[in-house]
Amino acid sequence: MDEKLVPVVCPYCGVGCRLYIRSSDGHPLGIEYANDIPGISNENGKLCPKGNAVLEYVLARDRLKKPLKAKEQGKFVEISWSQAIKEVAERLKEYSKDDPNSMMFFGSAKTFNEPNYLIQKLARMLGTNNVDHCARLCHASTVSGLKAVFGAGAMTNTYRDIEEANVIFIIGHNFAETHPVGFRYVLKAKERGAKVIVADPRFTRTAWFADIYLQHYPGTDIALINGLIHVIIEERLYDEKFVRERCTGFDELAKTVEKFTPGYVEKITGVPADLIVQAARTFATGGKGVITWAMGITQHTHGHDNVRLLATLSAICGYQGREGCGVSPMRGQNNVQGACDLGVLPNVFPGYKAVSDPEGRKFFEEFWGTELSGEVGLTVIEAAHAIEKGKVRAYYVMGENPVISDANTNHVIKALHKLEFMVVQDIVPTPTMEFADIVLPAAAMLENEGSLTNTERRVQWSFQAINPPGEARPDWWIVSEIGKAAGFTGDGPKGFNYSGPEDILREVNACTPQYRGITPERLKANLAGIHWPCPSEDHPGTRVLYKERFLTSDGKAHLAAVEYRGPAETPDEDYPFLLTTVRYVGHYHTLTMTGRSRALVKRWPEPLAEIHPEDAERLGIKTGDWVKIVTRRGEYPIRAKVTRTVKKGVIAVPWHWGANVVTNDALDPVAKIPETKACACKVVKITEEEARELMKKVPPVIPEIEIVRG
Amino acid sequence: MTRRILHVDYSLCIGCETCEGVCDFIHGGRPNIKVYYTITGIPVPINCRHCEKAPCMDVCPAGAIYRDSDGAVIINPNKCIGCLMCLAACPFGVPTFDVKLKAVTKCDMCADRRRLGTAPACAEMCPAGAIFFGKPEEVEEKVRRRTAEKIARERLAAVNLEGVGRML
Ligand code: SF4
Ligand code: SF4
Ligand code: SF4
Repeated sequence: MDEKLVPVVCPYCGVGCRLYIRSSDGHPLGIEYANDIPGISNENGKLCPKGNAVLEYVLARDRLKKPLKAKEQGKFVEISWSQAIKEVAERLKEYSKDDPNSMMFFGSAKTFNEPNYLIQKLARMLGTNNVDHCARLCHASTVSGLKAVFGAGAMTNTYRDIEEANVIFIIGHNFAETHPVGFRYVLKAKERGAKVIVADPRFTRTAWFADIYLQHYPGTDIALINGLIHVIIEERLYDEKFVRERCTGFDELAKTVEKFTPGYVEKITGVPADLIVQAARTFATGGKGVITWAMGITQHTHGHDNVRLLATLSAICGYQGREGCGVSPMRGQNNVQGACDLGVLPNVFPGYKAVSDPEGRKFFEEFWGTELSGEVGLTVIEAAHAIEKGKVRAYYVMGENPVISDANTNHVIKALHKLEFMVVQDIVPTPTMEFADIVLPAAAMLENEGSLTNTERRVQWSFQAINPPGEARPDWWIVSEIGKAAGFTGDGPKGFNYSGPEDILREVNACTPQYRGITPERLKANLAGIHWPCPSEDHPGTRVLYKERFLTSDGKAHLAAVEYRGPAETPDEDYPFLLTTVRYVGHYHTLTMTGRSRALVKRWPEPLAEIHPEDAERLGIKTGDWVKIVTRRGEYPIRAKVTRTVKKGVIAVPWHWGANVVTNDALDPVAKIPETKACACKVVKITEEEARELMKKVPPVIPEIEIVRG
Repeated sequence: MTRRILHVDYSLCIGCETCEGVCDFIHGGRPNIKVYYTITGIPVPINCRHCEKAPCMDVCPAGAIYRDSDGAVIINPNKCIGCLMCLAACPFGVPTFDVKLKAVTKCDMCADRRRLGTAPACAEMCPAGAIFFGKPEEVEEKVRRRTAEKIARERLAAVNLEGVGRML
């Protein structure tokens, strides 16, 4: 028996924790904690409940083991790999010849950098920029908002800087629950005497650690942040030297926030005026400040503006380009940063070179040896709308689950029905697979290897610990085979001939300036990874961005002046409550992974809608009662939990189990992110039978797929 | 005998339930630490305090509860008669009746892991570092240091903010 201890990266959240898998001949025996590797993001090898249960979903009984082809909707026959690849490649080639923009490609933040690079390369070589991934649904506004202010869309600092900060402003981010291991750094800062300010419509587990807690209504973030900036400017607490030397647009900002007096902001947000003043003073005078946010800021029709304002707040206080400072948008999946970096976005090539910029395009045309489109492609939600208009006819979905993850599920399902051709590449059956024509079984993260980029720009290598089940194959292999079969057989970067993920990463090194020095050899030798930008092989990586200049054209931070906009839908007589979506520490995304983990399901068996005691009493609802949440888009049955964690008039629902049937798909005009964090709803008490009936109409999160004989 | 204590600092707990998860895993699906939430949403993990003058041990009519060499209070399931007197006496409601075992079980301070020289699983894994394990003086030192920081923070907060932050 050959027993091995293999270092991997946890396949769940963006903290990118390291752990070991103990395996024997490709079978997993258990996990071991990586408490012997210095400098990793999870100090002392700590893991959260998901990380501890990491082997369970990999061993799920219903893993996909063979390529499948649909006979009719939802009924599949098994086919061989060669047939599957041939069929997919031929169909894609046909669409490419006819109209490349009739295809849409989905990359995945749940897989390695290498397949993500390949899927956007495939889309682009086939002639379309219609390629996107789930960052659209989580941090699209972070990428666009930060780019507008600082010139690039990444966390500007690292976890160490959070630990070293004197004041930490956490807004729209239930840090303790979404990133428990990362939250450690906040606690350590607090031990040192740092102040913590938390702004959240819910009194979350994070809020419990706040020195100052601001409970604003969902969707009133612009007013709140403008209010803070107002006080900081009014009391001249901002960093005048930094603003003079490194920022533009200050005068306009000062003019715009003039009317956002604490009293005015209190009216909009429900946060007492004196708390706003106190928070502003504490933040601006801390000397070293960090702002962190997540979905509570981004998933709004004004997500882009929220992010620009937070970046502005950080910049006017001079909290950029120094250690212990910065802005830290927290990524939800372990490779969102990497998928964005490598151009799985409809508007940029790897390294954030705009597709519309002829110079950047020329570089990639020469590099890949083919003509490329300069037309900005479609985003995830736009693609669903384009299907309805008949513009998009084919989907290639790698490791994504739009049926549960996209806002307004019913609309997505209607659109998917209309597709001519859909390929789904995944590790287990998902509700999205119901609509697939071809299903490609992929190896899970622990079953293959490659590089991953965590939320703090730390690129790490995860090694193969166990063997994939049946004929499941690594994502990079599948995409490269399809690329070759589609006729891209040129040498080096001009084709899809790769012998392993190392080859692909070397190609990334050659075309992505930020990753230039992050070679597979270096990553394998250095388990703690390297923070990009890393311009050369002897460069140690970069902890803090923008020490001298920002990446904007003039090198300055472009401060944003933003007028107040609330959520697209606000409560009215028919829909009197404000609905917001939340998540649980033990679950992840659309449950494809955690839903197959017994330990996690046992502890977090079902979603509970949180409702304030006074609202509950008025409606006659007690904890454990069934209710339905009704919006203009659908109905969702769920049991209630009466708690003071939410404000009066607000309902909080975990989204993992498919709550997107009720959310709003109104988009942010710039980031194109749907507003899943705030919409109007009503709450109706129902019986258990009614709930069961309603449940049948919501797509099952863990479906069975039917395999018939050919 | 090296005395060890296991101490949960409730003010540090972030309610991630990792402790419950790992304890569940190494104790065959029956976690000995459970996180409870108050209506205000605050998490409180409850497990055995391994009391020095353990009422459970005093009250047990079968003499099934003893203290091991690290100082952990342990229930011997073979001697336990399932009378639940320990549950009645425990101020924290810790002992759990196990129907299959026909005996009472509770946190054993991870006896198996201590035998291998490793710390209890919950203490090792808690991301917030809310569970302290070690010699009494080590743990006490940590608790006191935290208290000192807390006091200092409160005093700082009372000082006018000007002069603490950046000079303007
Ligand atoms: S692991 Fe630690 S922080 Fe998490 S619930 Fe348990 S005691 Fe609390
Ligand atoms: S079971 Fe209860 S009484 Fe007995 S040692 Fe534990 S906490 Fe103390
Ligand atoms: S010491 Fe061991 S048995 Fe006791 S609560 Fe912690 S993990 Fe469970």
